Amino acid sequence: MTMEVTRCLLQASDERHELGDYEQGVPRWCNGCGDNGILTTMQRLCRDNDLAPERTVFVSGIGCSSRLPHYMHTYGFHGTHGRALPIAEGVKMARPDLTVFVSTGDGDCLSIGAAHWIHALRYNMDLTVLLHDNRIYGLTKKQASPTSPLGTKSNTTPQGSYLEALNPLTVTLGVANVSFVAQAVDWIPELLYDILTAAYRHRGLSFVRIVQRCPEFMPGFFDPWMQDPRRTLILRHASGLTLSPAIAKTYTNQLEHDPSDIHRAREIASDEEPIPVGILYRDDDVPCYEDVRHAGAVRTAEQVRRGLAAELDRFTIWPDGAER
Amino acid sequence: MTARTLFRTTGRIDGAELAPIDGLALRPALFARFHDLPALRYDYPLVLVDGTPEEPVRSLSRIVDGVLRDVAPRGLEGERMRRAVLRVERDLRRGIAHGAGGRLGARWDEAAAQVAERGGAAVRQELATIRAALTVDGELLDCDATAAPRVVTHLWVATYAAKARAMRGAIDGLVARLEDLVRADRLRSEEGRGADALRSGIGTAHRDAFDFDVMARLLARPSGPSGMHPERRRRIADVLVTLRAQHFFLAAADPYSFVFDRIDTALATFRRRLPDAAALVRAIAIAELEVRGHYVEAVHDAHFARFDERSLAAEDLARFPDYLVRVAGPANRAEIIGALSSGVPLKIVTTTNDVVEETATAEPAPSLGAQLATTAMGLGDVFVVQTPSASLFRMRHALRAALAFRGPALVSTYGGAVATGLPPYLVSAAALESRAFPAFSYDPGAGADWAHRFALGPNPQPEATWPEHEVAWADGELRRSTARLAFTLADFLLADPRHASHYARIASGDGDDGLPALDPDGRLHRVLADDRMRGAARRCAETWDRLRELDALKRPAAAAPAATATAAPAPAVEAASEPAPAAAASSDEPWIETPRCTTCNECTTINNRMFAYNENKQAYVKDATAGTYRQLVEAAESCQVAIIHPGKPRDPNEPGLDELIARAEAFR
Ligand SMILES: Cc1ncc(C[n+]2csc(CCOP(=O)(O)OP(=O)(O)O)c2C)c(N)n1
Ligand code: SF4
Ligand code: SF4
Ligand SMILES: [Mg+2]
Repeated sequence: MTMEVTRCLLQASDERHELGDYEQGVPRWCNGCGDNGILTTMQRLCRDNDLAPERTVFVSGIGCSSRLPHYMHTYGFHGTHGRALPIAEGVKMARPDLTVFVSTGDGDCLSIGAAHWIHALRYNMDLTVLLHDNRIYGLTKKQASPTSPLGTKSNTTPQGSYLEALNPLTVTLGVANVSFVAQAVDWIPELLYDILTAAYRHRGLSFVRIVQRCPEFMPGFFDPWMQDPRRTLILRHASGLTLSPAIAKTYTNQLEHDPSDIHRAREIASDEEPIPVGILYRDDDVPCYEDVRHAGAVRTAEQVRRGLAAELDRFTIWPDGAER
Repeated sequence: MTARTLFRTTGRIDGAELAPIDGLALRPALFARFHDLPALRYDYPLVLVDGTPEEPVRSLSRIVDGVLRDVAPRGLEGERMRRAVLRVERDLRRGIAHGAGGRLGARWDEAAAQVAERGGAAVRQELATIRAALTVDGELLDCDATAAPRVVTHLWVATYAAKARAMRGAIDGLVARLEDLVRADRLRSEEGRGADALRSGIGTAHRDAFDFDVMARLLARPSGPSGMHPERRRRIADVLVTLRAQHFFLAAADPYSFVFDRIDTALATFRRRLPDAAALVRAIAIAELEVRGHYVEAVHDAHFARFDERSLAAEDLARFPDYLVRVAGPANRAEIIGALSSGVPLKIVTTTNDVVEETATAEPAPSLGAQLATTAMGLGDVFVVQTPSASLFRMRHALRAALAFRGPALVSTYGGAVATGLPPYLVSAAALESRAFPAFSYDPGAGADWAHRFALGPNPQPEATWPEHEVAWADGELRRSTARLAFTLADFLLADPRHASHYARIASGDGDDGLPALDPDGRLHRVLADDRMRGAARRCAETWDRLRELDALKRPAAAAPAATATAAPAPAVEAASEPAPAAAASSDEPWIETPRCTTCNECTTINNRMFAYNENKQAYVKDATAGTYRQLVEAAESCQVAIIHPGKPRDPNEPGLDELIARAEAFR
């Protein structure tokens, strides 16, 4: 709750943010890495929505992509491998008033973190999740990931990978309580921006798979798609993406798709060629776990102390005669 | 002039054909089927449910239905249980009708014990099962003149509790966060890092194991600005005092009361407390800025120094409890209307027991109480609910909305406590039936026009001017007759001794005209109403018809075009075309399709004076002269999205130009 008086005063002294206000350090990603563009898009999104840096949190796991919070001048939590989502959920439970973004890689989210991924979708907490899908483990210098195409030669699969790639979109669309699913490609920044903006505005867990280039370990892999605009299928709809003339002119392969139609969304998601780009599914009415559980209750220092003591007491061995 | 005409026009009774009705205790024939009200299942008694449940006011019969649905076996098997429970319900209702009052749980137990006594072990067992499923409890309430104020008060408490919980939660949250700030400041201070503070932070069991002096020496000074400014510390301390001492919302000590029996006291109290309310809002606002770290002394000090009740925003005032005033009778209409238009958030509930008053000329005219709601509706921004107490339960949603409304509200009710010996429920239901006191609501916040704001309540047969009923009776020879008769104001007032002079009994004659009425022995009489009473009934019908017209606004007129023409779908692709970048006009100049840049750093790494990022961190050619043509071509080649166009070389002497121009061909 914010008093009207406070709102007026805050508005009067509203600081307008520049993109630079969200920049921090020099990214250590390779030149040409798709993560650079994703970072810029997030900084633009923060600026354009005037997100207060001190009320914004970027959470990540481990991987090249998970370095993103380091480069955002907001709060950040560079977590452990695969655990970005549970950490973000914890932040949101404790402070539902904060805006929380999650950056996670295809290894981080779909491999070691797969269980958390499924359950985070079910919890449907108000998080914006960016899956940086470069279809490889980048940070550890090229091992096959769950989305590596069949036959990918890597350090763990020198003869080429043996398994068909996992499709993160169809899996996501199959989970109960899913409320927002979209796909973007890092090399069309305008659409990446529009899609991430829609994801940010959606209340509930927004899952955006970003097809991301890793020129270091998957050099030239996406060139065929980048060079031929017909190999991208743009999903447009009055309640999804509306296209600028420039985009509409370049990307003529378009499909009118109503994001409320989950069956059609599943069909589209299962087609990987051409790459669908846009909002596949959205349902604004799925309840958020933090609302269901009335999260955000204030805890006084005394309550925190008592809670901690009670938890620790469960593991405490009291020597005979010790004072409790 | 016949005796009838004489009576109608003058009210005088002459001759043997007509006789006065005084002392006969007549009642409308329609009441015949309600002679044993407690045997019927209807809304009353109501249960004012304890605590702050979803539904604060419930009807006993509905509670019982719910329990039976949950517990009783379906079909024949559950029949005995259902019968026993309905008997308990009936006995309980009878007790309440005889003024027993009390709480549901206790009264239920008494009634159930007696039914079980008569029914034996099996019934006892079944009633025990039912009792276990009966989880609600609360005060029982029969329909009488106090029903409306009690129901409204109970609903008001629920509204207050919701507001108070929200505000108290916010205040507690701010207190906790401000205390965090103070504590963090203390921990960072010289004293907080000292040996004593460290010692008190460790439990007694292991205190001896540490050397706190050494620890204090080892502790580094915290980074960042040192300590809170004393001005800020004082400000936070002041705010904490105000927040902790508030009296408005579930206050720990000395909470304010918001329920009054007099309008003037309520108004005066509201005004007297305004400075307190302003001080609290001020403290909350300062706290909200402080916990965000957004309090700027240079900007905010001046604002808060002048902050008083005139600075209160309507939205903030609306977070405070409204003042409930229970006025016994609408004696002072001017005071009520004045108070409702004062802008003070008063919720006034009035109960009248007269719908019609005898004027000086013995003309029955609508009473002040009966006109109060329509008058208040004319004020425009007052939430108005009118209902006889008989339909209070069915109007509960409107009542709750009125209490939750941000602004003044009037609940005008009719109690039915008339010296007729009839149960008030029956009288008040008849007031609804006869259009003497229709049920309706007016919600100023519900929309821009009357169609959205006005709604009729549960008035019977709303499409008719008067509701009609099949009435059956037996004549002197026990011949059964039936007729469909309208129930009008004249029928309703027949039972009220104060208006007896407007009626005459037809003592002789064939007797199938006039209003059918019964005496306490159930004998049928025919009664004539005089022209004054008929005039009153006509005016009553006109008022009712006006209300119906308002309600009819809701239904779209047949001829009107469909309310919302479906908007043409927005074109997915706008027709306007984007202006081409200036540089694109001449392919001689190098340029970048900036909006497509993915910020990959390739070009800026090659030459960061030639290529730079704009305010969106997307690359453009900043200075084409700051590097070589070779660099332009190499950048174009390394740009993965192929959006760099090198143009033509500007230095004709640059080495290797021919080859570079050939390579640039791909990026024209
Ligand atoms: C528990 C654990 N297991 C393994 C690792 C090693 N590890 C670091 S990053 C990584 C994979 C990252 O791949 P991805 O999530 O796709 O991120 P990318 O680098 O491709 O952006 C692995 C396996 C680790 N850090 N922790
Ligand atoms: S290894 Fe791949 S994913 Fe990692 S920074 Fe380099 S290009 Fe990006
Ligand atoms: S090389 Fe291309 S995509 Fe990369 S920064 Fe330069 S213009 Fe942008
Ligand atoms: Mg990866």
